[in-house]
Order: sequence, then C-alpha cells, then structure tokens
Amino acid sequence: MTMNRRKFIRNAGIIGAGAFAAPYILPSGRLFAATGTQLAQHVVYVLFAGGVRQQESVLQRYLNDSQGLPWAGNIMYNMLNGQAPTNKIVYGTDQGNGASGGTPILQILSQTLETQGTLFREVSSQSNGHYGGLNNLLQGSTVSTQSLKSKPVNPTIFEYLRRHGGFSATDTWLIGNGIANSIPLLNYSAHPDYGAKYGANFFAPSVTFGNLGFEHLSDAKVYHPENELDPIYQMKYFLDQSFSGVGRGADVLGNTDEEKFRIKSFMKQTYQKVIQNQIPFPLVTDGNDAFNVGFACEVMREFKPALTVVNLNDVDGCHADFTGYLRSLHRADHAVGHLWNYIQTMVPEMAGNTILIASPECGRNLNHNPIRDVNDWFAYDHSDDNASRVFTLMAGANVPSNLSLGSEGNPVGLTSDNVLTVAEILGIKPEVQNAGYVQSESLSLFDRI
Amino acid sequence: MKKGLIIFTFCLIIFSLPACKKVIDPDQYEVNEVKLYSSISDKTKLKSQEQFVSILYTNLFQQTLSGNKLVQINNCLESIGDKELGREVLISNFMNKPNVQLPSDSIMRENPREFVLDTYERFFVRLPSEAEATWMVNYIESKPQLSAELLYFAFALSNEYLYY
Repeated sequence: MTMNRRKFIRNAGIIGAGAFAAPYILPSGRLFAATGTQLAQHVVYVLFAGGVRQQESVLQRYLNDSQGLPWAGNIMYNMLNGQAPTNKIVYGTDQGNGASGGTPILQILSQTLETQGTLFREVSSQSNGHYGGLNNLLQGSTVSTQSLKSKPVNPTIFEYLRRHGGFSATDTWLIGNGIANSIPLLNYSAHPDYGAKYGANFFAPSVTFGNLGFEHLSDAKVYHPENELDPIYQMKYFLDQSFSGVGRGADVLGNTDEEKFRIKSFMKQTYQKVIQNQIPFPLVTDGNDAFNVGFACEVMREFKPALTVVNLNDVDGCHADFTGYLRSLHRADHAVGHLWNYIQTMVPEMAGNTILIASPECGRNLNHNPIRDVNDWFAYDHSDDNASRVFTLMAGANVPSNLSLGSEGNPVGLTSDNVLTVAEILGIKPEVQNAGYVQSESLSLFDRI
Repeated sequence: MKKGLIIFTFCLIIFSLPACKKVIDPDQYEVNEVKLYSSISDKTKLKSQEQFVSILYTNLFQQTLSGNKLVQINNCLESIGDKELGREVLISNFMNKPNVQLPSDSIMRENPREFVLDTYERFFVRLPSEAEATWMVNYIESKPQLSAELLYFAFALSNEYLYY
C-alpha cells in the first residue's frame, strides 16, 4: 500500500474543515478540473418521486379534478405559487382543530421556489413507471431493456461527473428513501466504460440509520488509523494483489482511504446524533420522505457534495389511498422547503452557490382505479398518457427567477433534460453530449429557457 | 544367507496377513471433509452478499447465523453504496461482539508460519504459496503490535474472500 497514513492524519484537520480539494489524477488521466464553466458549485437534485399527478401539483386542482368535488388549491406552497385550499383540508397534521389532517403545515420559505427560480409547468416524462422514470432522470436516456433489480444500462450523471469532471466519490451522493425497487442500484451503471469506480456514495437512511443499522452497524469498533487500520489495509492490499494476479477483483466505488475514514466517522457521529435527537429533520417528520431529507441535510453539511440526489417516494401510496397521497404530497413539498432552507441557513459553503432541481419521475393516471379510501375518495395508478405528464422546478444560482415555461397542452422539456442540465451546471455538458448516451432530443433546461 | 532367508520369510508372513478393516458404524455421522483449493485460480465464482455474510459470521463466531439476522444484515449492506466500506463496518461490528472467536496473539507469535497456513486455510480454503506465506510471516514478525484480530480482519476484507 502506498497511502501515507501519517500525512493523512496531519491533513485530517483540513479534511474535517471541508477544505479537501486537492487535485488528483483521474483514471482517465485527466486532472481534477471540469472543462466548462460552472453555473454553480453544487446541485441538489430532488427525485420528487413516487408518481405525482399534474392535477394535484402544478394544476392545483386538489379535489375538484380527481374526486368531482368543487375544491381546488395549492398544497405545495413551498415550491409553487398559489393559494391553499380553503375547504375539506385533509392533507395537514392532526393537531389543532381535531379533524384528521385538518391543520396544514406552516410554509417554510418566505418566497416559493417558483418565485425564486424557473418552473417548467408541463414536462414529458419518458416513462410512466417508477424504475424507468428514475433511470430516465439519472441516465438521461430511455432504455427499453432496463429491467428491475439490475444496474442501469447507460451511465448515470454520477459517473459522468466523476469520470469527466474529476469529482471524487464523496462529491456525489444518492440518498435513497429505502432499499426496495432497485433504488440501491442507481448509484452507478453496468456500462463497461463507466461503472462502479465512477459511482456515487449511497445511503438509505431508513435502513442505515434506522433500527437495523443500529443493531448491526452502529457498534463498529474504532481502530486507530495508524496502528491498526494501516496494517489491516496493508495486508488486504497484499492479499488483493495476489488475487488480482488471477484476473479477479471486486467492484469498488473508488472512495479513497481518506474518504472511507471520513464516511465511517460520519456514520459514527450520525448514530450519536440520532440518539441525541440532533438530526435536522423537517418540522413535520411523520413519513419516510421527511426522514430521508433530514439525513440528506446531514450529508450535505458534512460533505458539501457537488451533486446530492435525494429520492422521495411516499406519494406512491396513491395506488390505494388518495387522502394519504395528498398528505404525502404536502409533506414532500414541506421536505423540499426544509432542504432548501437548510442549505441557505446552515451550510454556508453551499448557500448562494447551489441549484436545486426537482422533478417527479412520472405522473399518475387521468382516471381513477376502483379503490376508495377513508374519505371515500378514489385512488390513482400510473399507466396512461396522463402519467407521462410532470413538471420540473429549478431554483438557485444563475437560474432565472419568477419564470414559468410551458402549459397544459404546450409541453416544454423532457425529464431526460435533467442530466444535461446538471452536467451544464457542473461544467461537463460537452463531455456528456459527446459520450452519446443521452436521448438525442434532450437539451439542457438552460437551453430551453 | 541364512539371515536373508529369515528376513524373506518374515516379510512373506507379514504381507500375507489380512489387512485391518475399518469397521463402519452405520450410525456414525461425520463432518464432510473440506477439499482445499489446489490453486488460487480455482476460485471463479463471486459469493452472493448473503453467502458472504453467512460464511463470515460462521467463521468469526463458529456458529451459524439465523435466517432472520442474515436478511437484516444483508439489508444493512444494501443500504450502503460502497460495498467494501459496508463490509468493513460490518466486520468492525462483528469484532466488537463479546462472543467473537479469535485466536490469541500468543498463538500467532508462537508459530507465525503455522498460524498463517491455518488462516489461509480458514478463510481462503487453500494453502498459501511459498511467497505468500513468507510475506505474511515476515509482516507478522516485523510488526510487534500486530494482533491476530487485525490479521483476521484483513483476510475477511480481502477480495479473495468474496470468491469461491
């Protein structure tokens, strides 16, 4: 092993201060330097996922479209402009007036993200399913052969950034809302020119820092970096060298030893914070999405990643529970508002230097299924053309403010645009285009403005 | 001449005696003999994550892991993107358990070569090459602070341990 542990320890203070920016040679031979101009140094990319119906989000029809009841309104008032519903409030918390869900969650942002940024009101999703949609959002391509429980076929935005932009593994994070539905597989593709060594770090906080994580991961023995970890790694590298002689190894993410040490320390600290109730959760954290966002805030505070992808999913309960869907949609908006507020107020290195992008991976059907919930309201699946209708919201540094593009019947943008958009923000758009895997009709959203 | 005849007769008698026969008790159960790999290159298959966890647990605790715990631990590893880091955290947790079965450092120091052979056999189900054994013995002897635990950790974390 060639790593100099002493040097690492000397530098630990600098690393801890978040100033780890030393250039290094990429496997491709390029130095750490994105070729294009960066529009911001950080992107927070919210997969506003689970299947969000346009009618209850951008179109703000609340119950008057879905259930034939005459009450419209905006239940996403951190993200979108518009007045909240005034009747039949079911999406809030149970506190206050005694009615179930009758107390809406207070607005976090003084200005909506729509006001702060640009809203693409009618975007075409190239998939009406979760996995295809998520892959589309992360690969920028539509691959019909993409199957569940398998790695993405084409490179993900994480791999583009790491290979072409020289970003380190801890510069790219995927925070998943669980380990089901192939979510843990989305941090890198099976593409032979990209793959694990360019992959993103991933946590599914509900597991990693939930009960299971506490039982099986939180009691890690702390080894002295120099006297204990160093010999372990030296012996491991010797053993691996012998084994690589027969042409076999393991897929590794490419975290350096320093990054691994930092991640392990972060995990240790995070378990302590959970015990001490110090995770910066949104005010209302009664679902997995808000739980996930709390840990995403922790990751951002610690690592200041160039790209943080946060996956939400609770709205998928809409298959059987429309009331629950409204509550989840309201909470997803609350969680995104919290995320943006946290960046601006608690992570000074990212405040004013971050762009947030949020898109559902797919919409939901125009017509309901036969399932009724406690309010006798119908549920919705996602399989028809209406399920290909979504929105994209973008706000932050260098994003035009108070701009709204497209309308019902006049779509502007594709969900696959997001990959090129992130690539443009972080300075590698030409490289991603030249790689040739992004859908040919895709553009950066900045090019659509 | 007479002496040679005596020896010949003795040998004839000895070799003509019926050989001892092992009596097999039909009710006797035996542990299957584990065949060692003759070469490192015989390992071509990647263990599944469940296989890795199960084998690791058995190796370190000398008992089998329950199906329920296996699923739980597998889920924990799924929740971490860097699988090698996840395995490292898991092994660190195992090493912190009071019932982990580790040889003492004195056993390692008494006969490092035998210890290395045993460890290769235990983790890799093969014997080390001469070069491997020499490197490892030298490493143990050059590091007075090195514990058997750290050596076990390195083997458990190695890439070869992911294969069978």
